[in-house]
Amino acid sequence: MKLKGFWRQNSTFVVLMVLLILLIPLGWITMGQKPFVRTVLSGLTLGALYLMVAAGLTLIFGLMDVLNFAHGAMFMIGAYAGWQFYTNPTFLFGLAPLVFALMTGLAATPLLRPLVIGWPVPEEWQRRLRTFLILLAIAVGVIGVLGLDLRDLAKTAMVSTMVAANPLAEATPQEPLARFWLRPTLLLIAGLLMALAQARPGDQTQIVHRAEQRRGWIALLALLALTVAAVLVREPAAIVVLKMNANWRFVLALLVGMLIGGGIGAVMETSLVRPLYVRPFYLVIATSGLAFVLKEVVQFLWDPLPYQMERPPLFAQPGKADSILDWFSAQTTTVDILGVTFPSYRLFIIVLGIVMLLGLLGLMRYTRLGMIIRAGVQDREMVEALGINVRRVFTLVFAMGVGLAALGGIGAAPFIPVEPVMGDRFLMQGFITVVLGGMGSVSGAAVGALLLGLARAFGDYLALKFQLTPAISEASTVIIMAIVLLVRPSGLFGKKE
Amino acid sequence: MEMDQQPTTDILTVETIHTYIGQFHILEGVSLRVRRGGVTVLLGRNGAGKTTTLKSILGLTPPRQGQVILDGQEIQGKRAFEIAGLGIGYVPEHRAIFRDLSVAENLKIAERRKGDLERRADFIFDLFPDLKRLYKLPGHHLSGGQQQMLAVARALVADNKLLLIDEPSEGLAPVLIEQMMEAIRELSATTTVLLVEQNFIMASQLGEHYYIIDDGRTAHDGAMADLIHDTALIRRYLGASAARVGGEFAARSEQRRGG
Repeated sequence: MKLKGFWRQNSTFVVLMVLLILLIPLGWITMGQKPFVRTVLSGLTLGALYLMVAAGLTLIFGLMDVLNFAHGAMFMIGAYAGWQFYTNPTFLFGLAPLVFALMTGLAATPLLRPLVIGWPVPEEWQRRLRTFLILLAIAVGVIGVLGLDLRDLAKTAMVSTMVAANPLAEATPQEPLARFWLRPTLLLIAGLLMALAQARPGDQTQIVHRAEQRRGWIALLALLALTVAAVLVREPAAIVVLKMNANWRFVLALLVGMLIGGGIGAVMETSLVRPLYVRPFYLVIATSGLAFVLKEVVQFLWDPLPYQMERPPLFAQPGKADSILDWFSAQTTTVDILGVTFPSYRLFIIVLGIVMLLGLLGLMRYTRLGMIIRAGVQDREMVEALGINVRRVFTLVFAMGVGLAALGGIGAAPFIPVEPVMGDRFLMQGFITVVLGGMGSVSGAAVGALLLGLARAFGDYLALKFQLTPAISEASTVIIMAIVLLVRPSGLFGKKE
Repeated sequence: MEMDQQPTTDILTVETIHTYIGQFHILEGVSLRVRRGGVTVLLGRNGAGKTTTLKSILGLTPPRQGQVILDGQEIQGKRAFEIAGLGIGYVPEHRAIFRDLSVAENLKIAERRKGDLERRADFIFDLFPDLKRLYKLPGHHLSGGQQQMLAVARALVADNKLLLIDEPSEGLAPVLIEQMMEAIRELSATTTVLLVEQNFIMASQLGEHYYIIDDGRTAHDGAMADLIHDTALIRRYLGASAARVGGEFAARSEQRRGG
């Protein structure tokens, strides 16, 4: 009886694994050892990247029913953020005080609410007043950024990438602090104006919560301290980062990019997505629109050129290591695996993908947040009825999903060109992965990513060998999806209909 | 107002609430007063608005007009998780347990403070001994009756002063209905229960006070002991089969009193 239950639950997984394992000797014999191992490793690398995009997509869709068409753009933003941080972080550190200042202002919303709730604003003027405040905030914000040459800051990393110059020398002199501090101040005012609009002056139907006030004060003070710190360290921090051991700088770049991605995700959920949950179709338009905007912004800052991010020194010594153990000491660009010369950095991507998967599965299985997500995928209303703030869980999951996509982007940056359109094909493959694995299932996304990665790699191999068009490998993923959907309309591990 | 005179006896007061779902005006002025302790039953035909009343109290379908007062505090307009956090447990209809979570997780997720489950475990397993045996199994392995018990148990994990229970007998075998009734009776000794129930036998045996919701309005209310004798009223609002049950029930209690 127990065995039967196990079989019923895991039959898809077991059948798939048995099929894949049976295919190993077949491929090994017909293709020969070297091409086979190389193709499998390429497939795993691609699969790991697909997973990083698909994991966030599947969680966001599973919990919130949102198809995030900006996910590919987030992958791209992650790659740019990581590239900037690793190559020359002047731009990021120059921008940070302004962002923090704006957030500080916005954090004042719950504190302003009890003050403005009683303002004698007639009902028909409330909306106009809010619009006016927002416009004023935008104007003040623009004045704050005006004259700050963002493009010059952005160029610092570009130049050092393109001419392999010493990034320390490229740390262009910046505005003196005496003048610079006006900018965060103006953005703080812009943030406060927006907060005022959000506090809805005169709207007496609102409820003021005391707990929200206390949390509001803590957030406001913390952000204010962060802003001041960011203003003060904006120049020395870039130099400290550049003087740091490059391997650690890379690790830090992974973290920073993931955090930036998470931050963007949280802002995106609370501002753009939340008002549209009731209009799913608008969400498709809004998220695709955001993707276009982000691509244009990136193009404006760094020109529509492809850049190649330098590999961290851990994977950059010329030569070939005879085994993975050997690589630890030699830190070469390539490693010999079962007779195949394979780039060591791609192995790192595979490991990163596996670590991420294990982390995510652990989170879903053993933490309270994971439990709430699993429950919420099935029944959001009941989760809310248990006294859990589902809206906050949504924000967290959105931030997490976007953060993972950004992490994938930085991971990919050292071996695929960093360019504005780099996320598009990953978005497409990510969606196919999610549909294949079943919406809302992390393990489904993992199996889907593995299948798609292998299909792409073997498709490429076959196309090359029989001189077919390379389109065959692209088509293979869609064909697999079609077959799976015919057999299982809700995907391999789908729980949602 | 009337309710100000005796603030301590009523745990929940609902004052002429109006609730819309999309364009539909579902509740057109429902008023209730639930006394502290014991079981109050909401009766009415299918689609009369009983479930929507429970959801409106909890803020899942927030009322657009009217007041909901829990323990002297106005709660309408608050978000559902905040209202639940004030001490309301909810058992939805159709045994809505989390099917992908284990029994243990289904209970654990209802904790509002750390250690809630450990504190309440003995009480819960006393009421529903089966759950102890099934503790590690995933929710979708449970039978219908077991799922219903889990749904009720889940509402008991946190410290709730009011339980909203929606059709606990729906689709259960007679033996299980018996068991569920016993459990709810035991519960009502320590908390207040607002029960929606179609099964008139169960409703009439558990409830001390009843409200009849009809067409989105409170149509009638009173003591359950009076209702079971009023076959005409039962037939009018609850249908012929309930009237038959009520009649038999009344006759039997009459006999018992006579003999």
